[in-house]
Amino acid sequence: MKVFSSLCTFDYSWEEVSTANWRKYCPWNDKSTHVVAVDTISRTVDSETGILRTERLITCDQSAPQWVSALFGGGATSHVYEVSYVDPNSKKVTMCSSNLTWSNVLKVQETVIYQPSSLTPTHTTSFHQEAKITALCGGWQKIKNKVEEASVERFSQNAKRGKEGFEAVLEMSRRVFGEQRERDTGKLAS
Amino acid sequence: MAASIAPECNEVKEKYDTCFLKWYSEKYLRGNTSSNDCEELFSKYKTCLNKSLKDKGIDTMIEDARKGNKESDAEHNRRS
Repeated sequence: MKVFSSLCTFDYSWEEVSTANWRKYCPWNDKSTHVVAVDTISRTVDSETGILRTERLITCDQSAPQWVSALFGGGATSHVYEVSYVDPNSKKVTMCSSNLTWSNVLKVQETVIYQPSSLTPTHTTSFHQEAKITALCGGWQKIKNKVEEASVERFSQNAKRGKEGFEAVLEMSRRVFGEQRERDTGKLAS
Repeated sequence: MAASIAPECNEVKEKYDTCFLKWYSEKYLRGNTSSNDCEELFSKYKTCLNKSLKDKGIDTMIEDARKGNKESDAEHNRRS
């Protein structure tokens, strides 16, 4: 097993980040173009805790490095199952994802947490991402290691692009919400 | 907003996503967690989507993944 982890801070409030997170993969994000569809398959709010639990199916157009596909077969489309939990009281978003495609060859389990940062909790949000990558293919340890290394490399490239893309979504969201607010206040005043 | 895996569901998905985002930012985050403004749209979207997931055989993959997620539910679906 190999572990990829990264930690960063977004200069936006937790409310802004947790809202924009729902449209992380929209046309405003021109960096995560490998994500072709995002579907919500279930959504509930726990009446006792207020925690919002959402299940999504994420469809990607790029599944694995070419030599890995050549080795194990498989098409260009892959699916990821994601369960997220929003706790509005403690202001915490936790997202757990696992791959549906190739799951007999490679297991990728990712956990992402968004929380108000400890230094400036009202203005900035910390993002912690961790992925555990395990090659399951039987046989040579050498091949397993190669597959895991290539997967971590691919994961880290996507993570970097994902962050850049999300920054663009955050910026656009703030602009659009600002304009909406202005329109609403304008309407009230007139 | 991102597209649906089933192009025929895009229209109702777009309506649902817009409704959800408005509810999330204007109600849910402001403490009104029990309202469900988008239930009807979600039910329409799900009907459309589930048919496609079944046709593509993705529904059984999701069922399997659900079984493997019980631990996460136990850990995160409670007050922290």
